[in-house]
Amino acid sequence: MTFLQLIRKNLFRKKLRTTLTVVSIFIAFLIFGILASFQSSMNAGVDLAGADRLIVTNKINFTLPMPIAYVARTAAVPGVQRVAHASWFGGYYQEPRNFLVAFAIDPAPYLDIYPEYILPPAQREAFLRDRTGLLVGKAVADAYGWKVGDRVPIKSNIWRQKNKSDTWTFNISGIITGKETRVDTNFVMFQYEYFKETRDVGGDTVGWMILKTADTKENERIMRDIDALFANSPFETETKTEQAFNKAFIEMMGDIGSIVLYVVGAAFITILLVVGNTMMLTVRERTNEIAVLKTIGFTAQRVFALVLGESMLLALIGGVLGVLAAFLITSAIAQSVSVLATMTLTLDTAIIAFVLMALLGLLTGLLPAIRAMNIDVVTALGRK
Amino acid sequence: MGRTLNQIAVVTMMNLRSIPQRLWTSLSTVIAVAFVTGVLLAFLAMANGFAATVKGSGASDVAVFLRKGSEGELNSVLERGQTQLIQEAPGIAKGADGKALTSPELYVIVDGIKKSSRTKANLPLRGLGPLADQVRKGVRISAGRMFRTGMNELVVGRAVSKQFEGFELGRQIRLASQNWTVVGEFETGGTVFESEIWADVAVLQNLYQRGSTVQTVRVRMDSPASLQKLRDYSDSDPRLKLDVQSETEFYTGQSQGMNDMIMFMGWPLAIAMSFGALAGALNTMYASVDARLREIATMRAIGFGGLPAFVGTMTESLLLSAIGGVLGTLFCYLLFNGISAATMGGSFTQVVFAFKFSGALILQGVILALVIGFVGGVFPAWRAARVPLLAAFRAG
Repeated sequence: MTFLQLIRKNLFRKKLRTTLTVVSIFIAFLIFGILASFQSSMNAGVDLAGADRLIVTNKINFTLPMPIAYVARTAAVPGVQRVAHASWFGGYYQEPRNFLVAFAIDPAPYLDIYPEYILPPAQREAFLRDRTGLLVGKAVADAYGWKVGDRVPIKSNIWRQKNKSDTWTFNISGIITGKETRVDTNFVMFQYEYFKETRDVGGDTVGWMILKTADTKENERIMRDIDALFANSPFETETKTEQAFNKAFIEMMGDIGSIVLYVVGAAFITILLVVGNTMMLTVRERTNEIAVLKTIGFTAQRVFALVLGESMLLALIGGVLGVLAAFLITSAIAQSVSVLATMTLTLDTAIIAFVLMALLGLLTGLLPAIRAMNIDVVTALGRK
Repeated sequence: MGRTLNQIAVVTMMNLRSIPQRLWTSLSTVIAVAFVTGVLLAFLAMANGFAATVKGSGASDVAVFLRKGSEGELNSVLERGQTQLIQEAPGIAKGADGKALTSPELYVIVDGIKKSSRTKANLPLRGLGPLADQVRKGVRISAGRMFRTGMNELVVGRAVSKQFEGFELGRQIRLASQNWTVVGEFETGGTVFESEIWADVAVLQNLYQRGSTVQTVRVRMDSPASLQKLRDYSDSDPRLKLDVQSETEFYTGQSQGMNDMIMFMGWPLAIAMSFGALAGALNTMYASVDARLREIATMRAIGFGGLPAFVGTMTESLLLSAIGGVLGTLFCYLLFNGISAATMGGSFTQVVFAFKFSGALILQGVILALVIGFVGGVFPAWRAARVPLLAAFRAG
């Protein structure tokens, strides 16, 4: 019998106990995998923000508008390569609970600034040509089963048309997919020109501007220059990097990071106790047997490795199963909930999970292993 | 019968007295159950605190008029003509001078800096009509004074001055190239309004270039029953056709989404963790039975029944998890009760709320602990009850 076989045989001798322990480890890693994926999807906007992108909003708050004339004036600031603007629509489909992240954009520059949005060239052309065209993110298209060529009515809880209707009807010209899974595609976009001409109030204002800088080292100066340009006007601005803007937005939800940390921490301490305790029990029950192993020539080091190997194997089996289950569950959530479409178990999460498995195996096995190593053959066998 | 009871008492005492021999095993069960209870209660207290703050904000005799389909105050727009029509509606309480008690209000967003994270967050800035203090009851100025009509003055809610920077008493604030002064702080008994900043509606209309439009109109009704009269009035006039809700209904609706989300996370997490703790409890109790195999068999041999062995093990398991449940509750209560947190409420704005425990919540936590104790005890207890007599000779 090889050493590994011995460990395996030991582990599955008490099947019920081992199964229960594996279940508790499995659950700890399942919780970790799902919560870490959730957090990573919340942070995707921060992690994937373009370093060369700046966001200009109204200084009082980003929900307030600014004149469209700002776009041309901003484009003239040295170092600014491309400027686009967008306006929040407050959209929903059929019923208010089918909330849509919808905004009106300046089409060509907007799509140029966001290279992570993949759109077939023919669909892009179609969108630019059709004033009532609509670009639909894949997450939304999947949720409502929309296809290119469909005509969809979208309602606004903010705006009204000049004829007092709250419904705009669009032709779907294209479906946007993300360059990678974590790129958020839970949105729809349409042409600002169409929006401006049909809405009853709002005039020549836009919601915010997005710009691309030629050189990220110039970002600080460009931000200062833009805000100085509009200082002391009725519409003062505040310019931030896209990353800072997205970070502030997420933090308004509350401290998600801390909540995830507390819950995962609590789950792991619980499991640490359960598993550590089981390992202690196991070694205590096998005192005689270990003494026999030592008598037939097992060194203290080998006995130590035997016990530690068992706890490591335990952590690995439960952990890998837990991470796999978390992967399946997050994929299922991402496909069914469009708000969480970017939820995916990243490689980083999997690596952290492996480190945690090693730590768990080590922490729960160390004390029992030392104890096993120190078992005195004469006393143990003499006890009988 | 008396004999069986007596036997149960004896075996149970033996079980409990032997706990110190398995101190670490038992302790690990207690702590595992404590953590599970603690996590569940933290989520429940968060949901409960949020709901209490938001739902408690509404008065049943105040009605809110919003544009149809606007969902929140931020998206609503009411024209001057509509504001005037509302004043003539039936069922509105009258002030001393015979004027209908209505408050046309603006609701816009300004930035505050969250003290905890030092990041910007949205705060609602509400413009109040001249009669607002008679429409809204229970507002108390806790420091400084109320803003004066026509002045660039602000009063801030108590939660805003506690959780956010930049709104200290006497502070000058610049909004759209005009200077504003914070002149007072107000309390409304822990409701959503304490997360708001208030100013004169006319001054804000000017600042935000809203002309004579407002976003909502609040009215004090002569009784909560007048809501239907207001609805009929609004529906019958094509110039109005507005959403009319009592404040209570309005804020209950606003709290629903967040409440669902917290519950949606809290219960599944607690249940998943319970399975982890359950595995620990089962292992502990099986170990307890195994350790006393010989003892149990011997007692069976001298005439003890299977029931006492069952009850003894069950009691041990329930006791351990009950201790865990109580410890978890206590710990969670000391750590979180009354702690303030802020999150996004309706209209993208911040709502400051406090974690709030209640008897009903604690009961749920303790029940969960006892369920773990029950399931974790019943199988090992079954094994204890069926220990064969021969085990007395075989074991050891």
